[in-house]
Amino acid sequence: MLTSTRMECGSVAELPAFESPVSRSFVSFEGASMESRQPGTALTLHDVSATTKIIVRAGPGTAARHQLDAAFGTSRTEKGVLVIGQRPDEWTILGPAAASRALVDGLDRSGHVSVIDHTHSRALFRLTGAEAASVLEKLCSLDWNDHMTPDGAAVSASVAKVTCDIVRNDVDGTRSYLISCDRSYGQYLFDAILDARHEFGIGPLVASVS
Amino acid sequence: MLIVPCPNCGPRNAADLRYVGESRPRPDPNSASAKEWRAYLYERANPAGMLRETWYCRSGCRRYFVLERDTVSNEFTNPPTPVAKLGKRP
Repeated sequence: MLTSTRMECGSVAELPAFESPVSRSFVSFEGASMESRQPGTALTLHDVSATTKIIVRAGPGTAARHQLDAAFGTSRTEKGVLVIGQRPDEWTILGPAAASRALVDGLDRSGHVSVIDHTHSRALFRLTGAEAASVLEKLCSLDWNDHMTPDGAAVSASVAKVTCDIVRNDVDGTRSYLISCDRSYGQYLFDAILDARHEFGIGPLVASVS
Repeated sequence: MLIVPCPNCGPRNAADLRYVGESRPRPDPNSASAKEWRAYLYERANPAGMLRETWYCRSGCRRYFVLERDTVSNEFTNPPTPVAKLGKRP
């Protein structure tokens, strides 16, 4: 159970079990068993909200900025952890819990630096497939062509009228996007992305909730 | 659709931003008269033409910036300037 009670002041589990913002009982998709009608065109939408998400804010002139080494609007991978320059003074770190925390622990905290773990407060989805950009174009006004958002690009924008952080993070050469929003909008955004693909008829969407 | 040039994010749909209003110097609260303070808070020029205004990029970089817009043609004429660089409150 999540609570605002400080751990040393109450009987609170140190590592509360992660609960996905997407409820299995409310997900309105065809199911993971559908087979692709057109090989290679399948879109997949995965709920990867359990991924550790740490937000680092570092002011101008701090050493942490140089350590993070990801310019605004770009991302890079370091030891299995994705470091995203999400805003001019803000970085998001995504990855396995231990590796993410190791990266954060190595940051120089001197100056105006704050580190907050947002794992439980943000939903995170991965949309993968050759036509993933077409789905996003239905929901978001940004240009998702390669010249504007190449692999590694990080943007923040309104997706289905929900403010989201989006990172293009291709998987084995296949176009893929990590889409993050406030946890309370997770179910709505998940369903909105599923709904958007119906406009195209480009093949089945395989969705999974983990 | 109004496309607003954000200094950090580039051209964005105005729906992704918040229109803050006319950009004008804030009087010194220690020396401003009640009349000057009232004018700053409530009176607007509302011209049919060029207007210097403040926007907030709420869906993108979450920064305030100032630019000039022709209120008749909706054309932006100067590069946007982040408020942080102006050293003034929006």
